[in-house]
Amino acid sequence: MTDILEAISLVASWDVILVIVAASLFGLFMGAIPGLTATMATALLVPVTFFMEPLPAIAAIVSATAMAIVAGDIPGALLRMPGTPASAVYADEAYLMGKKGKLGLALGINVTCSMLGGIIGVIVLALFAPRIAEFALQFTSDEYFWLALLGLSCAILVSGKDPLKGAVSMLIGLTIAMVGMDSVSGQVRFTFGSYDLLAGVSLLPILIGLFAITELLRSIPGSGHGAPKTDVPPGCVLSGVGSTTWRYKGGVARGGLLGTMIGALPGAGADIASWISYAISRKLSRTPEKYGTGHPEGLVSASAANNAALSGAYIPALVFGIPGDTVTAIIIGVLTTKGITPGPDVFTEQGALVNAIFLVFVLANLLLLPLGILAIKGAGRLLTVPTGVLYPLILMFCIVGAFSANNTMFDVWIMLGLGLLGYFLMENDFPLGPLILAFILGPIIESNFMRSILKSDGDLMAFVDRPIAMVLAILAVLVWTLIIANGVLKPQSKGGSTGKSNDALNVANGK
Amino acid sequence: MRTNDAVSGAIAAALGAALIVASADLSPLPRQVYGAGTFPTVTGVLLLLVGGLLVVKGLRDRQPWIRWTAKVPLRAFLKALGAVVASVTAYILLTPVLGFPVVALVILSLLFQVYYRRGWVLSVSIAGISTAAIWGLFAQMLYVPLEPGLLEWVLYP
Repeated sequence: MTDILEAISLVASWDVILVIVAASLFGLFMGAIPGLTATMATALLVPVTFFMEPLPAIAAIVSATAMAIVAGDIPGALLRMPGTPASAVYADEAYLMGKKGKLGLALGINVTCSMLGGIIGVIVLALFAPRIAEFALQFTSDEYFWLALLGLSCAILVSGKDPLKGAVSMLIGLTIAMVGMDSVSGQVRFTFGSYDLLAGVSLLPILIGLFAITELLRSIPGSGHGAPKTDVPPGCVLSGVGSTTWRYKGGVARGGLLGTMIGALPGAGADIASWISYAISRKLSRTPEKYGTGHPEGLVSASAANNAALSGAYIPALVFGIPGDTVTAIIIGVLTTKGITPGPDVFTEQGALVNAIFLVFVLANLLLLPLGILAIKGAGRLLTVPTGVLYPLILMFCIVGAFSANNTMFDVWIMLGLGLLGYFLMENDFPLGPLILAFILGPIIESNFMRSILKSDGDLMAFVDRPIAMVLAILAVLVWTLIIANGVLKPQSKGGSTGKSNDALNVANGK
Repeated sequence: MRTNDAVSGAIAAALGAALIVASADLSPLPRQVYGAGTFPTVTGVLLLLVGGLLVVKGLRDRQPWIRWTAKVPLRAFLKALGAVVASVTAYILLTPVLGFPVVALVILSLLFQVYYRRGWVLSVSIAGISTAAIWGLFAQMLYVPLEPGLLEWVLYP
């Protein structure tokens, strides 16, 4: 109880509330502009969060991503151009509803169901995370080694159409993570004599390079004067939303729960949650033939799922320190730089902070409704923002943001290099998600491996002599067998990244 | 730009081989066979393996060696690539000499002129406001030590 009261007092401070509102508005803007993703919004926010206390920093990221996902629905419904990959699956459906004169209903459903899905996700997170954390207190370095390895391996399996490419992406991330001084032996690795690399490669220039510069390289060629002014729905956008949502209440609940579960899987984020939820909703529907013609049923389920997935991703991130998606990978990086290592101990040692994070989630999701309506009303003007001005500005923001990590130009070079690498990888269907997850998890895997090996005096069997460790080890081996078998046996698809779903998946994995 | 998987696989395998060679110099912990070289070696071996599988796959599927598959024309991409690389390089090399306000103003003006195409007056005006806003946020509010350069006497009289 004391923790909860303390959490309320932490969240109720003016700086946290201000940060939530400001970050939501930032996320709203980023999500509404096609081509700017929620992960890009997060990457651009990180330089600012470096100067904040842990709670406002998390609040900023949580609010911005939740709002960006919702705002991404708006250009999808108005222009048939999803603002973020998480909206791609139902952009057509919402657009066709608009053509039938139900634009207000489509956008109202997006906002309302996103909020409901987000709240379902928070409830699951708040109920289950502490219980799992209690169980995780028994874990030693053996279990953590296998768990991190398993998380990373699952990320490869679910993050793209070719697991071999996911594996290469992951191994590149591990390689980058090994640069610098080894934390156990103190030996210097792969620095090529550079003093700047002694402490390793910083997270921030990697994030900005991979998720902002890569996207800029894809978006700048098409930049110019922004979209033409579009008509926004007149009157109250929530009219008819309540009755439609109630009619499909099962879909909202299913989307929320499914989204949370999918979000908790490492590597699977909001985009995959909405794709799967839409597909299941269609399969279970009494009127599947209406899907794709401007029917609200799939919209309800998928809108709930993508926001619920955001909360779900925090379950492994907070409980084990294993990120569920790229955004939570960033959160772990931010928390670590602030001296907080996510894991079960956080629940016992910093219970107030954990509860405050849950409250922030609730607040951010509740804010989706008023700010979402504001976004819908202002969408016509928002979409006319000239991208020929916006993209160069983002580029300058990236440069200064990368510099601010350590106040060195070396990081700006790193950002540029990673941006070019990210572009090459994306164009060749190598998902970026496993790379960033490996960069975060690499040191965790290595340090736990070394700790276990030192404890056991070099006996490798010690890694599987505890029941949980053995189960995790078997699962990890199974996942790797699947990765290799899938990569070798799966027939090659022709034409590369041309399909809409693949595009969305690719962006999202880098997303 | 999409390459045959054999090309990306070969690059990955080469990186793996380089990792294995570079890790050979790293000494193990006292009285152990494991140490700072263990993980890089394992990563290198996996890169070799997975890269090798990609090479086999690329050759088996007979994909074209290189092709342009992006939705934008190659020329527009090369222009954007040039703009990004030149902007970042110019910033890194010129900011320590001329300072952030001058370099950012020039880079942004040029980029606006190329991509917004509404004339120099508007480009320079928007660039001026944007530079001031970024300076205000990072240098004044977040205390990031951006180089004032030539304008030091104006900014810090």
